[in-house]
Amino acid sequence: MSLALTIGLLIGAGVFLVLQRGMIRIILGFVLLTHGVNLLLIAAGGTARRVPPFDGTDAAVAADPLPQAFVLTAIVIAFAITVVMATFAVVGRRDDDTESDDTVGYDTVGYDTESDDTAGDDRPDGAARGAAAASRRGETR
Amino acid sequence: MTLSALLGASLAVVGLTAAVSAVVGRAAGWIAAAALAGLAVVVGMMGPAIAAGDVVRESIPWLPTIDVAVRLRLDGLALVFLLIVLGIGALVMAYSARYLSSRDVHRHTGYFVWMTLFAFAMTGLVLADDIVLLFVFWELTTLCSFFLINRSGRKASAPAVRTLIVTAIGGLILLLAVALMVARTGTTVLHEIVAAEAWSADPAFTALVAVLVAIAALTKSAQFPFHYWLPDAMVAPTPVSAYLHAAAMVKAGIYLLLVMSPAFAGNAAWQAVLMTSGLVTALLGGYLALRAVDLKQIMAYSTVGQLGFIVATIGVGTPGALAAAVLFTLSHALFKAALFMVVGIIDQQAGTRDIRLLRGLSRRMRTTLVITVLAGLSMAGVIPLLGFIAKEYVLGALLDAGPAPVVGIIATLAASLAAVATVAYTGRILLGAFTDDASDDAPEHPDRHRVPPFIEEAPIAFWVPAAIPAVLGLVLGLAIPLLRPLLGAAAGAAAGEFYTATFALYSGPTVELALSLSILSAGVIAIVARRRLAPLIARPLLPVTAIDIVEGLRRGIVAVGARAGRFGATDAHAPHLALPWVLLGVLAVVGIWAAPSAGAVVDATEPWTDALLLALTAITVLPALAARSRLVAVILIGGAGFVVALWFFALGAIDVGLTQLLVELLTVVALVLFLRRLPALFHRVRRSRTAITATIAVVAGLLATIATLALTGRRDLSPAGQAFLERAYVDTGGTNIVNTILVDYRALDTFGELTVVAVAGIVLSAVLAARRLQPERTPEVGARGATALGRATDNTLPVRVVARWAAPVVIALSAYLFLRGHYEPGGGFIAALVGGTGFALAYLGAASDTSAPVRWPYRRLFAAGVVIAALSGLWGLAAGSFLKPVRFDIPLPWGGEYGFTSALVFDLGVYLAVVAIVIALLNEVGGVLGRRADDREEVRA
Repeated sequence: MSLALTIGLLIGAGVFLVLQRGMIRIILGFVLLTHGVNLLLIAAGGTARRVPPFDGTDAAVAADPLPQAFVLTAIVIAFAITVVMATFAVVGRRDDDTESDDTVGYDTVGYDTESDDTAGDDRPDGAARGAAAASRRGETR
Repeated sequence: MTLSALLGASLAVVGLTAAVSAVVGRAAGWIAAAALAGLAVVVGMMGPAIAAGDVVRESIPWLPTIDVAVRLRLDGLALVFLLIVLGIGALVMAYSARYLSSRDVHRHTGYFVWMTLFAFAMTGLVLADDIVLLFVFWELTTLCSFFLINRSGRKASAPAVRTLIVTAIGGLILLLAVALMVARTGTTVLHEIVAAEAWSADPAFTALVAVLVAIAALTKSAQFPFHYWLPDAMVAPTPVSAYLHAAAMVKAGIYLLLVMSPAFAGNAAWQAVLMTSGLVTALLGGYLALRAVDLKQIMAYSTVGQLGFIVATIGVGTPGALAAAVLFTLSHALFKAALFMVVGIIDQQAGTRDIRLLRGLSRRMRTTLVITVLAGLSMAGVIPLLGFIAKEYVLGALLDAGPAPVVGIIATLAASLAAVATVAYTGRILLGAFTDDASDDAPEHPDRHRVPPFIEEAPIAFWVPAAIPAVLGLVLGLAIPLLRPLLGAAAGAAAGEFYTATFALYSGPTVELALSLSILSAGVIAIVARRRLAPLIARPLLPVTAIDIVEGLRRGIVAVGARAGRFGATDAHAPHLALPWVLLGVLAVVGIWAAPSAGAVVDATEPWTDALLLALTAITVLPALAARSRLVAVILIGGAGFVVALWFFALGAIDVGLTQLLVELLTVVALVLFLRRLPALFHRVRRSRTAITATIAVVAGLLATIATLALTGRRDLSPAGQAFLERAYVDTGGTNIVNTILVDYRALDTFGELTVVAVAGIVLSAVLAARRLQPERTPEVGARGATALGRATDNTLPVRVVARWAAPVVIALSAYLFLRGHYEPGGGFIAALVGGTGFALAYLGAASDTSAPVRWPYRRLFAAGVVIAALSGLWGLAAGSFLKPVRFDIPLPWGGEYGFTSALVFDLGVYLAVVAIVIALLNEVGGVLGRRADDREEVRA
């Protein structure tokens, strides 16, 4: 029951974060989703048997080794994906925003060093067009 | 020679020609010609037996579970087409050896590959006795023609795409027909399908499939309303056109119609579609050929029109008509191959193909003239050439077309009119190119200067390939009785019943003969009166051309697609990311509704520590959701990662827990590297939006909990897990079962995974090479020299001291974990991650980014990792199968032995790839390489 709740908590929190604004929170959301799904995979092997599976371990109590192997590779792949996503967050001239900011004001500390907003084409994500449109409309922050 | 050997040999020609052409250039055409001619001779030697009624069959298993096999079958019909494909192929290849440019030896390899591949595809198509195999070869011809047209320069792109669109649509329609046929008849064997009872039992179904097959063939054979692509494709080099028109592409459609004919002949829909389309095309082709001024365009419209005769005749469906269609196909292949090659010769020698510019070639190019006259007269249907006999019997077949006499009369009249046009445009070719006839002259033509003042006859090697089919048209016309057995066998195969051909040069004073004579007379009158008829013909039939319509359709489809795409388009990530979760939620709700009960829980008890872990998860995760600071969120999520690692330990997954622990460590280090280039706080969003996302998140979490409860813990150890526990040591010699799964049992999986890691590292470096990093946003405390906190060299002293002592320990630990991985917790992943933390420690201890001692050639490490893993795989391949572990014992100097396995070598590949991504990260994002960031890097200074 505790494991099921943990999985639910991780998935729920992960979904919440990936739906936020900004690449870093999306990455953190993916990290949590990975945790949740990895635990789910382990749970699929059964949680009643918890003795590490080595040669000679009693099959009646040994944990299922197959999901463990899956999860092990999944963790490393998730790390690689995290690195790639984070790379996209820090290239270009703007920060890791993933949306055009005509919905709310832009009040992030440390952004005052950016004076121009003509770099719409250099943005790290697919929002370049939106940003260019926003700057054409003369919206400033 | 067996049929599979024949097919294999025609494929081998591709490799042979490609290899030779890479060395000697265009002369490779001779090799290809010799090879294809040799195959044609081999096939020809089977001719007498096949003509006597033999059928050669062969079957090689391919997809046994769905009973699809490489079934090959050689009957009379296949033999005739095979001779055309290989024979014309050989001639065209020999012709290419002179036609292609002698400069730039390496430029022609692609041409030869696609042409010989085309010959292979056609060989496979006519030999296929499995309808799936036939479809595969059908599509291969489509691809070959696309690439052959497309590679002839920038102007060729649009025609090539139009060709691909129409023929690919035809291919899809054929696929639909194939699926219907296989589903109804329950077999994929072609000759069993056409002989199935279903066709006579269910006329409506038969009509549907017949029309689908007919449409597929009409697209391939460039018949109305798909006729436009063939003249459009004239941008391809002349040998390509010669092959496409005479033997390959368009003849594939004819072959399909003939081979399916036993199933559909006599079906009203089949007859109506084929006769209408064929006759309309014949008339249209003749009319358009009379208007064209480019010799190649005239030939193209001529092909379209001539194939119209064949299609209409196949539509008649009687054995006699099918025999006439086969004969016409053969005769067309011969004269059209000759004519196209002649056009190429004229083009090369005179510098133009425009009949408004050409004049007086008869004085200089006598041999070419003779070839053109021979082939042209065969096309016009002049006695005693093969074309005359073919046209006689086609007219006869159309005259007999049922069901009512009026059908036959209308069809014959239409065909006769088209035949008159054929005679007229044959005259146009001969008079326009070879005489001083000035009826089409254009003295002010801009290309006038391209015609050289002195035109010479082509060298013998250039015109011989054209002369052979032209002469054959005469010889075979005179020796027609010799062809009777083979053509009879071919028609018998197409008719599904025994048939004896009765072709003769003169068969008495028949209606057909009278028609032939009238056609020739009318044609001659049309030639004589060409100037008076010109204004009538020059008037366009319709205000738009077929190409306009197709281009309009294409643009329209693209526009509709763009408009449809706009509904789902958004520049923000969130809507894209939300949709899968909403749909998954719907799926989960449906699942719960559909299957409300699950199996019995095996063991519901859990240790009290689980609740503690849940609490720890909540303590780290929930505040992270509310955090406004990026750094706080990253630290909290990192904490959650450590709790998850504890979860893995608690669940008996030691290796997984260790991996999770180390990855989490490195993830935090990595994210902090990224964070220093980002604002301190997250972006804000509206409250209403947070409410929506929170709702989606809560529902997703709830459903995930329910799914976990419902779908796990309800069975005992899985059979796979059981087997691994029992067999791992026996199979692999390893005791750490999880590790043996990774490097022994599922090594291919792991191999794919280490490749993913390597690719991720390459993406990282490629992106950063192309795009500038954002500037660092150094916090206030880092102000250089202002406070003690700003003195980096002094501040990092403790870490450096620790690192100096820890480094050897980390290296030794990493090596130890690596070597023992097969037996105890450890292995390539964990060892590499430990090594990675060593690099991270060295990086953190450096006084500045660029002085960190982690500047390693990570790209080479990635490459080495993948290559070493692949080599260990090949080692296994040598021992039986890819990545199979090879084991042997190495005696140790102090006694005992070390159980070595090639899985360890594989694990080394894993190690290198994983360690490389950590180094890549530190080098590229950590600033070790000193890669130039944005212009205002030194913001604080």
